[in-house]
Amino acid sequence: MAHSAPASADIDLEPLRAILNEHFNPENYQDSLELIVQACQEAQHIYGYVPKAATELIAEHLGVTTNRIYGLLTFYADFLTAPPGKHTMLLCHGAACYVGGSQKIVNYLDQQYDVDSGHTTRDGTLTVQYVNGCLGVCDLAPVAQLDHGPYYGHLTVESFEELLESLRNDDGSSEDSDETE
Amino acid sequence: MKLSSQQDFQAYAADARKNWDERFGGSRWIISVGVSECSKAKGVQDTLSNLELHLDNSGLDYEIRHVGCAGWCFAEPYIEVSPPDGPPIIYGNVVTDVVPELVQAFKNGQFPTENALGVRSESAFEGIQPLSEHPFMKGQRRLLMERSGVIDPESIEEYIARGGYSAFVRALTEMTPEEIVHEVKESNVRGRGGAGFPAGIKWESGRRTQAWPKYVVANSHEGEPNVFKDRRLIESDPHLVLEGIMIACVALETPHGYNYIGGEHVLALSRFQKAVDQAYELGLLGENVLGTGKSFHMRVRSGGGAYICGEGSALMYAIMGERGQPRTKPPRSVEEGVWRRPTVLNNTETYAAVPSIINNGGAWYADIGTDESKGTKLVTIQGPVKRIGVAEVEMGFSMRELIEEIYGGAKDGYTLKGIQMGGVSAGPLRMDQLDVGIDFESLDEVGAMLGSGGFVAFDESICAVDFARYLTRFNRYESCAKCTPCRLGNKALLEIVDKVRHGQSPADVAALIQGTSDNIIDLSLCGLGQVAPMPLLGMMKAFPEEFEAHFREGRCPQGQCTVSQPHIRLEPVAAD
Repeated sequence: MAHSAPASADIDLEPLRAILNEHFNPENYQDSLELIVQACQEAQHIYGYVPKAATELIAEHLGVTTNRIYGLLTFYADFLTAPPGKHTMLLCHGAACYVGGSQKIVNYLDQQYDVDSGHTTRDGTLTVQYVNGCLGVCDLAPVAQLDHGPYYGHLTVESFEELLESLRNDDGSSEDSDETE
Repeated sequence: MKLSSQQDFQAYAADARKNWDERFGGSRWIISVGVSECSKAKGVQDTLSNLELHLDNSGLDYEIRHVGCAGWCFAEPYIEVSPPDGPPIIYGNVVTDVVPELVQAFKNGQFPTENALGVRSESAFEGIQPLSEHPFMKGQRRLLMERSGVIDPESIEEYIARGGYSAFVRALTEMTPEEIVHEVKESNVRGRGGAGFPAGIKWESGRRTQAWPKYVVANSHEGEPNVFKDRRLIESDPHLVLEGIMIACVALETPHGYNYIGGEHVLALSRFQKAVDQAYELGLLGENVLGTGKSFHMRVRSGGGAYICGEGSALMYAIMGERGQPRTKPPRSVEEGVWRRPTVLNNTETYAAVPSIINNGGAWYADIGTDESKGTKLVTIQGPVKRIGVAEVEMGFSMRELIEEIYGGAKDGYTLKGIQMGGVSAGPLRMDQLDVGIDFESLDEVGAMLGSGGFVAFDESICAVDFARYLTRFNRYESCAKCTPCRLGNKALLEIVDKVRHGQSPADVAALIQGTSDNIIDLSLCGLGQVAPMPLLGMMKAFPEEFEAHFREGRCPQGQCTVSQPHIRLEPVAAD
């Protein structure tokens, strides 16, 4: 799924450069190493994934190699190295959500869409990341968080299907989507 | 403002207390709204704007303030109403629909009993019971969560007004490092991350190792799939954790503190960072703190979703910008930790206990709990119970009381089957095994584990084999793949369980599972591998008849496993 990132020329690096200049000023090589993950988090925050051009900028800014950065990007589950779909969803698969039936939704995504954690549906609507730990809002289990914003609680396969349908039909903004119960 | 002496601090604290008293003793209505990750998920932002709207229209003289989470996730979003004359009342489940009626009632000088959790007072008020009588609160003993839901987590002044940083200042100005370690040793507070190693002994070894610089690190990674205590504590009272780490820095005579917070805990990260910034502004962190000539610095680091980074050595590699993979020990981290220097690493909750130990003395703390397990423990529950939340109970508290009283037992329509213990590192307790104390020893004795205190209630509809598979899959997925027994052993274990789930148990499958597990347990490098098979073994031990039904009859009594859905049954495989 990775390695289909657009050419580096398409990426506006200025916002990342500004943040790096302001907040990432290592005093020595140790500091540089400590800051890599956070710099990548900033990049993912800005672009929705960590583009190759961003890793090159981070490497240059911190004085580390891009190989070292990719070593971390591929180790941590949270990072995406390819552009996500129109929406990104964190689907909690913690124990509370499992007990509440999240496995059924995971199976549904697998069987209906051939989608696993970190994958995007073929129509580009949704990238799903399974939260192997816990979103910590267990009262709503099974729960998913859309675009780092609204939560959708007490999910069933049916309500999940409806949610996907509504995402497919809307044209990009999830601003006024309400939490479903 | 920067405080430059102990007297400065005392004066600041006195002012803060005075401001607090005046604020809550005035003629204003103070409406405190709990804003944390779980209340945000449940729509607290809407509640806030609606409250503002209706209070504005009501003509009441009011002030809305934000506080943290008080542990009652089941009642989010909640508000605490402090009327000008009368005790503060807590209302739960204050969704937008409830707001207009509530505000109207307040205007009329009435306090509805509906949705009221309790009143902060010794006796009932307007028919509302004291909060301490609420079944969720009754059995709890709150030391760490004393300020959670009471103070604004983003205000250092409120923390200090409620006694905060007095322990740090005392440790810094009135105690020698040896005395601090002595108190922590005497308290016998043990590691809250799961292993239960006495913190005082760790600190002492850290002091004894003569290599500089030294580091103090807090483990706030919390990557298990079933616990959310540390992040709630940091979201609600970040300064408490920070103060604990700072006291450890004083004891270790080092300026270098770290807190490693899981990258997915967004609000905890931002609130802790804010707490650090405020401590710098006030001069509690920085150079020459309070004129003592000593410096203290705090760095916040975070990872990106890898459970293994909660393991001590892996966490330190993660801080150092390496892949978070554990290494063999010795050397232990107190000898070679972050940047190969002596490092004292404790759990968030352990550090949070330190300020009260310094304030009240180690002996006081050692009086709480059981003979071997001291103090209180934060516990969380998940699954179909009535009251989901974070509770704090004295060590040795009855597990049955916790589940049935505090958490309210099974939700209507559910029958509980068991409680999964110790995160993903131990087996479950059946409902008939709940008469056991919540402490390290008692739970070890019955083959469960206290771990980090995350419990999962599961009901009769859950198949023990499928649940065991879920827990095994977690460990298999989260294996860092450095050592072979864990990387391949857990994969093999998962394959065996999957065969069982598909009604194709190999011959003598129980022995095969046991043998594979033994190899993983004996040969793995770190704590993750060494306990990875435990949930499966524990489930087998607790629910043997269910496993037997799968093994021998190819039948899933709960109808959850693929075995009971013939249309997706796998092709038969060659006999093993």
